[in-house]
Amino acid sequence: MMENFSALFGGTEPPPSTTAAALGFGPGKPGGPGTGQPPVPTVTPVGEETARKAAAASGPFYLMRELPGTTELTGSTNLITHYNLEHAYNKFCGKKVKEKLSNFLPDLPGMIDLPGSHDNSSLRSLIEKPPICGSSFNPITGTMLTGFRLHAGPLPEQCRLMHIQPPKKKNKHKHKQSRTQDPVPPETPSDSDHKKKKKKKEDDPERKRKKKEKKKKKNRHSPEHPGVGSSQASSSSSLR
Amino acid sequence: MAEKFDSLEEHLEKFVENIRQLGIIVSDFQPSSQAGLSQKLNFMVTGLQDIDKCRQQLHDISVPLEVFEYIDQGRNPQLYTKECLERALAKNEQVKGKIDTMKKFKSLLIQELTKVFPEDMAKYKAIRSEDPSP
Repeated sequence: MMENFSALFGGTEPPPSTTAAALGFGPGKPGGPGTGQPPVPTVTPVGEETARKAAAASGPFYLMRELPGTTELTGSTNLITHYNLEHAYNKFCGKKVKEKLSNFLPDLPGMIDLPGSHDNSSLRSLIEKPPICGSSFNPITGTMLTGFRLHAGPLPEQCRLMHIQPPKKKNKHKHKQSRTQDPVPPETPSDSDHKKKKKKKEDDPERKRKKKEKKKKKNRHSPEHPGVGSSQASSSSSLR
Repeated sequence: MAEKFDSLEEHLEKFVENIRQLGIIVSDFQPSSQAGLSQKLNFMVTGLQDIDKCRQQLHDISVPLEVFEYIDQGRNPQLYTKECLERALAKNEQVKGKIDTMKKFKSLLIQELTKVFPEDMAKYKAIRSEDPSP
């Protein structure tokens, strides 16, 4: 037990002095171990820390460290209340936050719920590969505007991205269903059909054999072929 | 803090609206709407200039990169905030649990050591009594 205690307060030191050894502690600093009395710091607050250190060093607890300050902010305090984030916590964690980006930016035109990687519109790509352009925005002059003369007439359907809107609340469920369920049902029946077809195909030759055997049995049991046993028939068929 | 973002938000909304109108003009273009198209194009340039000017007010704002991942995936960026708060609270509780357990361990250890080594623990307590208790 004594040894354990010495280990706790610093057991890796060289052999202890007599009193310290008797107590089972490590050696004290010169002039320390024998006294044992913890000197009460009577110095001014400025030298308080050094005095405490000296006190600790003079006694058997020469490896003792300063306790962490109480003013230090630790995980023992509720940091959300400490930083006045209860409102944010209740706002975001109290109720369910809608999953889609269109719920956050409902007035933004276009289909914004699709991943940016689909149409190369991701923000990350903008950071990783910034566009090569000048530092300032200059107005388009008259001659430059001639480059923006367009042909009359409507755009082809596939280019009308502006008209595609994310579905509203009522349609949302339908859309979700169509998204999640539509691809699944056509796949599953088609798969099962394939399996069935395959099974049918696999079964076909077996069925034919069984049918043939039945026919043969019938023929042998029929009055035309009397006296031929089933076992013989099978053996004969196998021989053939 | 919020005022900083108000002007940016306003400019962004105007810019988006201008782009939307530009899209409508372009989607069914008529020769008569050429002037309107040119005007919208120049509005776009001025809109970008206005947004660029907002940078000066927002140079001290930093946005975590993870938020961009949420937006790129078509997910609500508020989910990021939600997950951050939940993670922070969970970690906070975990650390508090550890600290409380360590405190209990310390008091038990002192209690037991006092039974076996009363003199030395008295010295120890005398030194520690000078320290403010944690």
